[in-house]
Amino acid sequence: MTRKHRRVVSRREFLETTAAATAAVTLPNTRGPALVGKARKIRVGVIGCGGRGTGAMHDCLTSSEDVELVALGDLFPDRLAKCRENLATMVTEEANSALKPKIKVNDRNCFTGFDAYQKVIASKVDLVVLATPPAFRATHFAAAVAAGKHVFMEKPVAVDPSGVRSVLATADLAAQKGLAVVAGTQRRHDPGYRAAMERIHGGDIGDIVGGQVYWNQGGLWMHPRLPEWSDVEWQIRNWLYFTWLSGDHIVEQHIHNIDVANWALGAHPVKAVGVGGRQWRTDPAYGHVYDHFAVDFQYPNGAHVLSMCRQIDGTASHVGERFVGTRGTSDGRSVIEGAAPWQRDPQAPKVNPYVQEHADLIASIRAGTPLNEGRQVAETTLSAIMGREAAYTGQVIVWDELLASQQELVPPDLNFGPMPVAPVAMPGSTGVVRTWRGA
Amino acid sequence: MSALLFAACPAAVVGQSAAHFLPYRDSIPGTLVSFEMIPVPGGTVTLDTPQGPRTVSVGPFWIGKTEVTWDEYDIWAFRLDLAGRVPTDSIDAVSRPSRPYGAPDRGFGHQGYPAIGMTYFAAQTYCAWLSAKTGKRYRLATDVEWSRAVQAGLGADTGWTPERRDALAWHAGNAGNQSHPVAAKPPDALGVHDLLGNVAEWVTGGVGSADGRPVVRGGSWADPADQVGPRARAAQTPAWNLTDPQFPKSRWWLADAPFVGFRIVLLPQ
Repeated sequence: MTRKHRRVVSRREFLETTAAATAAVTLPNTRGPALVGKARKIRVGVIGCGGRGTGAMHDCLTSSEDVELVALGDLFPDRLAKCRENLATMVTEEANSALKPKIKVNDRNCFTGFDAYQKVIASKVDLVVLATPPAFRATHFAAAVAAGKHVFMEKPVAVDPSGVRSVLATADLAAQKGLAVVAGTQRRHDPGYRAAMERIHGGDIGDIVGGQVYWNQGGLWMHPRLPEWSDVEWQIRNWLYFTWLSGDHIVEQHIHNIDVANWALGAHPVKAVGVGGRQWRTDPAYGHVYDHFAVDFQYPNGAHVLSMCRQIDGTASHVGERFVGTRGTSDGRSVIEGAAPWQRDPQAPKVNPYVQEHADLIASIRAGTPLNEGRQVAETTLSAIMGREAAYTGQVIVWDELLASQQELVPPDLNFGPMPVAPVAMPGSTGVVRTWRGA
Repeated sequence: MSALLFAACPAAVVGQSAAHFLPYRDSIPGTLVSFEMIPVPGGTVTLDTPQGPRTVSVGPFWIGKTEVTWDEYDIWAFRLDLAGRVPTDSIDAVSRPSRPYGAPDRGFGHQGYPAIGMTYFAAQTYCAWLSAKTGKRYRLATDVEWSRAVQAGLGADTGWTPERRDALAWHAGNAGNQSHPVAAKPPDALGVHDLLGNVAEWVTGGVGSADGRPVVRGGSWADPADQVGPRARAAQTPAWNLTDPQFPKSRWWLADAPFVGFRIVLLPQ
């Protein structure tokens, strides 16, 4: 029932693109960079060298043999320098000593500035890791695939429908070119989630009729503005708090749980109604994002999934998922209750999904059967954006209309300089159609 | 039994008026949160060490009646004692934890549940903060003190039968794969709860670890029953923080150790 709706996509032009790309995927791949020989080293470049980017370097290098880190790029020289210091520290740790010969980073292959991504991609790299704030993902992904690079990209992969359209097109192009694309929705590579999903898709809880997904927690880090920072620099350094940079926390963080819902249901939502607001984190230091959302997502089979996310200090935390089927319930990762009960062995060996996602990516490149999660993560990203827009606008958001909408939040040519902060979204008056020009 | 132990250890209160060595309740100033401390008489304990059994003497001290709860830990960890909504994130950043990415209580429960998943450094820093707040020198127990508390409260190892274990301690066989509210199990003879099981507890200067590094004691809800007991001792491994996706990994939070907590002690002045 859910399977046939798996590709409920959009408008005519997208159906056409999809059809062409699907045809291309099914053709045997006889050329291109997917044919990296088993013996050949995979050379990795990383764009976005913050804590997650540096963590991804560790995970990628740890995951596989014959992988080398050969290029780094970051907007900010201080962040890149800090990353290099951290890499030096990393290899002094006993558990990471084997990584030392894999790190071939020097002054010549480290790049900063808004065009650093182009220089990393132009380096002799096979695989590019995209770990900047989400605003830049669609552009970087397009450039990497155009240059024939395999890609690992952090979630979310866009902040607006315009970015999602770009990522969908690039994902299809990557498929045509035989390039691997893996996304940082690491639950898809977690043995617990995979085991539960296999059972759910096998019918162990029956047809899914509803569910709940949550990411409720306290606030996150914030860097108080320094006098020497321009508007743009201040916003990018505090990217969590600006919708054009992060997508807001429902997109940046809660996307993980929405992705699990899409995975369980084998579809993306078709409709969303939601509420949300900015009740606690009201200081201008926190930009204009909301601090809580609650969204009702409707899926093609009629199932409703409640999504709830919050970033407010001193409140109850909860991160997780739950699915209700006609024969039972599941948390999607460790337990099924009902007609076909199951519990994952708590003593089962631990696999680090953040490493596994890189292992799966690199193994797929070497096997000549490149994984391509681009479309999947783009659809999950738009699902989360749908929730955001339902709350921001107060309107019923329909998938096809949102995907086709003219919402473009990221200025095309960024430079350090003035940039006003867009107003906090107001349900009833904020519309889906918005651009950076109106900020 | 409690009285017997006190009577058996008159040296315990040397330099301290016996009348003042009593249980007491302390509170975190500016909050409604309080916690109880239980006196542990001094004595000698025999410890397993890499060089064989070693007998050491330990003076009297107070120990937390329970593991430190989220009610207490939140005030420090989430800066609830600082001015509300102003952006203070960089102020005091050295001595307050980074913001956890996710639910630090793992959904087990919060109010009345033991705080979990903190590094040894975080547990120590909490004690330093609590000391500054209260004017008393709270700190983590040493490995020896912790052993003494178990011995004084539970008696010799030989008394640690499966029946007593199930009655007093949460372990993998009875905990349902999660931590439980503190003091849900009955107290020991001193009036202390959950020394064994529920969450394993950070102590300083692990006598049983080869290099004297901190260890956790007592076993936890995640350990099989036979690994929860007076001798249970574990040092941190990379698996305790495997899935922190950042580098450097957090110095405050352990992404994969929801079975680790701590309790505090105070020495008589």
